[in-house]
Amino acid sequence: MNSLVLDPTHLEPPVHHHRLLRQPEAFHLHVDEKGIAWLTFDSPESQANVFNEATLRELDDHLDAVELDPSIHALVIRSAKEKIFIAGADLKAVRSLPPAEVDGLIRLGQAVFSRLASLPVPTLAAIHGACAGGGTELTLACDARIASDDNVTRIGLPETQLGLIPAWGGCTRLPRLIGLRSALDMILSGKLLSAKDALKRGLIAKVVPKDRLEAEAGHIVLSLTKSRPHRRFWDTLWPISSIIGWQTRRLLLAKTRGLYAAPLKALETVLTALRLNLETALELERTTMLSLAQSEATVRLIDLFFRKEAASKSSASSPHQISRVAVIGAGVMGSGIAQWLVSRGIHVLMCDVKPEAIAAGLARVNERLSEAVKRRLMTKQQAREAKDRLAVTAERVPLTSYHLVIEAATEDIGLKKKIFADIAPRVSEDTLLATNTSALGIREIATAVPMPDRVIGLHFFNPVHRMPLVEIIAHRETSDIAIGAAVAFSRAIGKTPVVVKDSPGFVVNRILTPYLMEAVKLHAQGHPAAVIDEAMLDFGMPMGPLRLLDEIGLDVAAHVASTLHLDASLLTPMIGKGHLGVKTGRGFYDHSPGIKHPRTSWAHVPWLQDQLADLMSDEAKKVLREDIASAAEIDLAMVLGTGYPPFRGGPLSHARVFR
Amino acid sequence: MTPSLVILDAVRTPFCRAGSALAELDAVELGRAVVSALLTKTGIDPQVVDETILGCVGQPPQAQNIARVIALRAGLPQSKPAFTVHRNCASGLEALTTAHAKLCARQGEVFIVGGVESMSNMPFYFSRQAVAKFAALSRARSPGQKVGALAAFRPADFSPVIGLQLGLTDPVSELNMGQTAELLARELNIARDAQDAFALRSHLRAQSTVHAPGEVCPLYVGGKVVQSDNGIRPDSTLEKLAALKPLFDREYGTVTAGNSSQITDGAVAMLVTSEQAAARLGLQPLGRLSGYSAVGCDPARMGLGPVGAIEKLHPGNLDEFDVVEINEAFAAQVLAVLKSLKHEIDPAKLNPRGGAIALGHPVGATGARLVQSALIQLHQTNKSRALISLCVGGGQGVAATLERL
Repeated sequence: MNSLVLDPTHLEPPVHHHRLLRQPEAFHLHVDEKGIAWLTFDSPESQANVFNEATLRELDDHLDAVELDPSIHALVIRSAKEKIFIAGADLKAVRSLPPAEVDGLIRLGQAVFSRLASLPVPTLAAIHGACAGGGTELTLACDARIASDDNVTRIGLPETQLGLIPAWGGCTRLPRLIGLRSALDMILSGKLLSAKDALKRGLIAKVVPKDRLEAEAGHIVLSLTKSRPHRRFWDTLWPISSIIGWQTRRLLLAKTRGLYAAPLKALETVLTALRLNLETALELERTTMLSLAQSEATVRLIDLFFRKEAASKSSASSPHQISRVAVIGAGVMGSGIAQWLVSRGIHVLMCDVKPEAIAAGLARVNERLSEAVKRRLMTKQQAREAKDRLAVTAERVPLTSYHLVIEAATEDIGLKKKIFADIAPRVSEDTLLATNTSALGIREIATAVPMPDRVIGLHFFNPVHRMPLVEIIAHRETSDIAIGAAVAFSRAIGKTPVVVKDSPGFVVNRILTPYLMEAVKLHAQGHPAAVIDEAMLDFGMPMGPLRLLDEIGLDVAAHVASTLHLDASLLTPMIGKGHLGVKTGRGFYDHSPGIKHPRTSWAHVPWLQDQLADLMSDEAKKVLREDIASAAEIDLAMVLGTGYPPFRGGPLSHARVFR
Repeated sequence: MTPSLVILDAVRTPFCRAGSALAELDAVELGRAVVSALLTKTGIDPQVVDETILGCVGQPPQAQNIARVIALRAGLPQSKPAFTVHRNCASGLEALTTAHAKLCARQGEVFIVGGVESMSNMPFYFSRQAVAKFAALSRARSPGQKVGALAAFRPADFSPVIGLQLGLTDPVSELNMGQTAELLARELNIARDAQDAFALRSHLRAQSTVHAPGEVCPLYVGGKVVQSDNGIRPDSTLEKLAALKPLFDREYGTVTAGNSSQITDGAVAMLVTSEQAAARLGLQPLGRLSGYSAVGCDPARMGLGPVGAIEKLHPGNLDEFDVVEINEAFAAQVLAVLKSLKHEIDPAKLNPRGGAIALGHPVGATGARLVQSALIQLHQTNKSRALISLCVGGGQGVAATLERL
């Protein structure tokens, strides 16, 4: 099947030792009548194309062939995959190889891409599908890039998010192509750009419809002249680059508190590389990458990435295709879930006994959708279609046409049981009944209905559109079919499910609540709220515990604490005074409009951080011992559900390293 | 034997004066909300619906064949057809009778029918001359041409023709609908105070109406709930009505804004099927469409349409009907119909919940509202037969009979 066409005058192609293993080919080369070489990346038996030693060497061989064939006038690189151009480097290799071999892999990638960059014929990358990390670095070594306008096309350098830096020329070539400021934004945020945005930044030359991609590529590549991107004149002036560097570093430190090494190293590498020649710059990329790749934080970030991938990967299609969902309750959670589902193509009926609550819920859904349009996450038309998928009712209507009912009422076991008893006679015989409780017992709720095997917990986190985690809670009688359907559904709507056992607080609230209550105790002992919160921000939490309590609402938190048999009496006086947090304008902080909380310069109290962090780790160990979830699931749930600092891996990984 | 069409369920939006609570929603949004509410209330799988038929008089230019647009946006399958019917003020009833005709022709068994009208969103038109000038302006390229094109405009070009006014003027007799009512009042000697008394009765009856659960579905506009009709004036009195100036004949007229139907936004949707399909769906029908008729008459006296339609459908006396709904286009017009009918209608049975003078007349929807309201009244009073009729702009009358099931 290999359609390699060689000049007949050419002797044997060079033989590399690894080729003797006769691995299945990942690249196919075809030369058309115009002399365009079409090099197609198509890893066998895989949905993604990735770069490892084998695929890099194979690419190298094909570059040999292209270079040696005088009938070839141009080279186009494309992918045969439906949704992926090139996903980047094989992370498993980076995670598991000994340092010397990681070094070898970096050198190999740099050499092959530099070779591509110096080919005598014009080269073009025709991008359709996800193009990330090493994939993007390959395209940077081409003379030009075009991309399909398809939704699956995304281009970026996400390395820093995994504790790495782009080291196959990304830090060096990107600023020369699109300018320093724009390159830093891409590399430090790790954002994957749509084709349109990539065009705006000058990363690609043209956006074309998918079915025109090849024709355009063939047309454009023949008109290309060999050119190497030059440093922008402005970027080479030292005051300009130092000012950009200083500004960026300041913002980065404010955001990450210096806890994440990779973005900082990436920033230094990009700035320094700008002043160096190509070879020295690549050398710098390599040594920086090596120092990062083996660090604890990077290893944990990569492990978390794999866990999330594994948890989110769509399983074989479940027998229950859930496309119609009834949500009971139009409050913050109910409307948040409804908004997320209709945006993901699900038809939703949002029920509430009070029309006023429906009006407020619909207003929240509409506001969120308008915001998504404004931020260009969806088009106006998509937002309208999402709205049209949402039906509402304040009546007791039949629910037989719905595959899943998600109850999202107030956290009150009596009310929830009443709702379940009311729903049960109105659903069909295979409707799944879920409750979005954050702490109440699923088994107890299931006693209210004659079909406990179809009752399951589906715990979304607030705000639903931002939090990727769904805790799926199976009680003893929940059927495997129900669990499978809930897992498949969570993945289908783009959330990461973690299946846990029915135990008070499940995983996330079980571990988080004692930590929050300890913070309350420390506050009562006289430590100012800002000091406690600063300590945990320094630990890497996205929000301090007392501010988080204000967000959750002190009454809600006290209720969860009592469910977990924790002492919340310290909150009682504040609740009595109506200081419930953000919703009443006052809690641990004053939330009256106009009041700003400058970052405090309170004395640092180091033991606060350890004490609070240890509390989470200790509770996580108990959760593990009680077999409520696996260690990997507990860590993943805490990172995705609470924003526990990813570079620490999770409360269990943290405990293992530091104790 | 002719198959019979049964009405399984019906929902309507609140009826709100044009420019008030529902003005933000166009006819498509009103229709989407009411069809969605009907699907939700009945709980049926949208796949079972064979066709959607809706009446609409002023179809928005951005939603030609509005029934199809509404069906798609309310979640009915793409594979199921939809079309819009137009018989002016009787369009909402026309949707129902068309479903019956389709059922008889074996072209479907399950239909969503009804009517929608957003009189708040009736378009304004520019005159042909003004349109030609706008076109010239858009073709102008050079600054000189543009100035020239702009200079051609005259102030009169910017005063648009109100679509609503056009729609309410009969193109054959060239009389405004109100003028046709004035004509009947003069010819049949219907006094101003009789008209005002009838209008007052409509408001009081509408005010004391007890709605069936789920009869009116709330709509949600900008974070607020709209759940009730807002045209009813419970504080209306004969004195207040008498103080109003005649609208259509300033000097000698008797027809006022107070004794005419209101200009209103609203929509109605009904699920109608064959008897067999109703049994299959496991839903208990509200009633059956037992007969209907349509007749033509003098466009200048279009208000008398119900006389011919009722007498054609039911030549005998009208005592067997427990509820009679005659659409209140104008008080003068309903009183003219009562005077002209061969057989008398018991005033207690006529429009017991008031009519369009109080609730308003979203032209495309009213016919369907009469069907819904008549069936609900039969159930509330445990009676069996209803007669409904509407006069139709352009000189027509339609009538239909319903039986409770």
